[in-house]
Amino acid sequence: MIPGSRIVVLPLAAITLCQPAQAMSYLSVEQAQQLMFGSRPLTPLPLALNATEIGAIERDSGVKVYAGSLRAWKADDGYFFTDAVIGKHDLINYAVALSADGKVRQVEILEYREAYGGEVRNAGWRAQFVGRHHGDPLQIGQDIQNISGATLSCQHVTDGIRRLLSTYAIAIAKR
Amino acid sequence: MNVVNNRWVPVALVAAWLAAPRAFAADARSAVSEEKLEQQITQLQQQLDQLKAQQQELKAQNEALAAQQQQQAAQAQAASAVAPAGGISPDLSLWGYGEIYYTHPVHDAALTEFDLARAVFGIGYRFDERTVFNSEFEVEHAVASASDAGEFEVEQFYVDRQLAGWASLKAGLFLMPFGLLNEHHEPTNYYGVQRNFVETLIIPSTWREGGVGFHGTTSIGLSWDVGLTTGMNLGNWDNNPQDPLYRTALQLEDNDVAPLQATHQELQLADAQHLSQYVSLNYSGVPGLLVGGAIFTGDAAVATVPAGLPDQRVTLWEGHARWTPGAADLSAVYARGSISNTAAYNLANTGVSNPMPAQFLGYYVQGAYTLWQRAGMRFSPFVRWEHYDMGASYDGIPPGFTTVPSGLAADGLPWPQPNDRVWTFGANFYINPHVVFKADYQDFSVNGNLTRFDLGMGLSY
Repeated sequence: MIPGSRIVVLPLAAITLCQPAQAMSYLSVEQAQQLMFGSRPLTPLPLALNATEIGAIERDSGVKVYAGSLRAWKADDGYFFTDAVIGKHDLINYAVALSADGKVRQVEILEYREAYGGEVRNAGWRAQFVGRHHGDPLQIGQDIQNISGATLSCQHVTDGIRRLLSTYAIAIAKR
Repeated sequence: MNVVNNRWVPVALVAAWLAAPRAFAADARSAVSEEKLEQQITQLQQQLDQLKAQQQELKAQNEALAAQQQQQAAQAQAASAVAPAGGISPDLSLWGYGEIYYTHPVHDAALTEFDLARAVFGIGYRFDERTVFNSEFEVEHAVASASDAGEFEVEQFYVDRQLAGWASLKAGLFLMPFGLLNEHHEPTNYYGVQRNFVETLIIPSTWREGGVGFHGTTSIGLSWDVGLTTGMNLGNWDNNPQDPLYRTALQLEDNDVAPLQATHQELQLADAQHLSQYVSLNYSGVPGLLVGGAIFTGDAAVATVPAGLPDQRVTLWEGHARWTPGAADLSAVYARGSISNTAAYNLANTGVSNPMPAQFLGYYVQGAYTLWQRAGMRFSPFVRWEHYDMGASYDGIPPGFTTVPSGLAADGLPWPQPNDRVWTFGANFYINPHVVFKADYQDFSVNGNLTRFDLGMGLSY
């Protein structure tokens, strides 16, 4: 039994190691746009946040804003965003669709790089954000359930979505 | 905005022209006027067309600018978001954790100890988008030298490569995916000053083996691990210590007393003639719930004295569940292990103080509740009940012999029993998510002299 499995494992490893070294992308930005908005047109929405807005977003969400981490598009019935947070050491890229009134419609993980914590990709976990809007507390362990073993990834994606909703309220809805 | 305003200029001109107080007499001049009017309308039409074209151009420029701006922003992000993590290089990551215990056996104050139990430093390096190296180095008990109790250990040392969206491969020395604690053993991740006994004595955390393993997650919430690793060396079993291996609960956890603690090899010139395999499954598709189990089995290296002992297999399996509905945190682990062909070994070593067990097991249930939290601070009392039995059954013990010496040890106290039931009451107080202060009281019902009160501090970054 054991010698057999040894022989299976090693060539499998050898074959799969020879793939190109690009990030493990679960969805491209275009695929996420297609998934969330179908063929409806999306117009890039420039988000040149000024220092006052960045300060307001950081105070409101309790999360640090990194220059240029957020990209936004507008559709006739909502908004599409891509953003990134650090899981433990590496970036997690994700996409969020908001409805026209600023409620979360969908969250998708685009890229995940770390050896642990990939469970944030769970559909059930991501579905907890649907219908949330700016002003909801969005605290991990309280209104967003954690995944045991993926604590940091869950914590930081939740922080990122809270920051995104603050950004929407402060820099987009008010403009 | 100017473009929009410009659009209204010709319209206003037409309106003004129409409204102008002029005489529209049906005279000879009227034909000339109409012709002029037509010319002016044509001119206005041309101006309108020009403005339209300009507006289109501006719109296109605007969109191009926005796209460019976003691209620049994305590039800036790649540089700024990663850089703060490493400092030296964006591909390098450094982390660590550690814990300090004050432990006071309530029935024997003379054995009270204060220990920097662990100081661990982690170094990781990302070679490319799919390949990462992780390592952890640990100093136990503060000072490691030939004459000190401490140890310096490599706890993890592996390369992990993402193969596809659903699978990764790791190779090196890595943590075994067993129970709730082994892979997530930082002090901020568990309740109580020290780790629970089930995941110390039965699952020998921090348990790592050398080898290769595949692992992956699926979008329905099922994650899996499977691999081929080094296993146990039963030749390391200390079957006849002259004195008890422990007198306090701290020594029970630290002194490699339990079957797998005493025989796992930690990739220290490990026997590799015999390999073991493991499979682990975890389901976390329902938010707040984790249910899983794992099994490890493989031939072990056996004792060379006396010669001619039969092959022996070591197997460990476990099931675990954790449910975190809101402020509550409920968890349970059951773990059970076995060693085959212990009868021949024990019959060849009759009358020893510590025969090799055929089976060992443990289980616990634990409930914690976050009573208070604010801005990263958190206060969570907990209670845990656990049962462990490092010698659940023995084979090859002839009639008249015992598995634990029946008389008193040299220190005048009875030998400790390898099984117990332990209640733990305590609390974790987090001053931020990375620093925790802990206190607990542990009541042992079989080995009453192990009952203790503990204080601790742990951190993880």
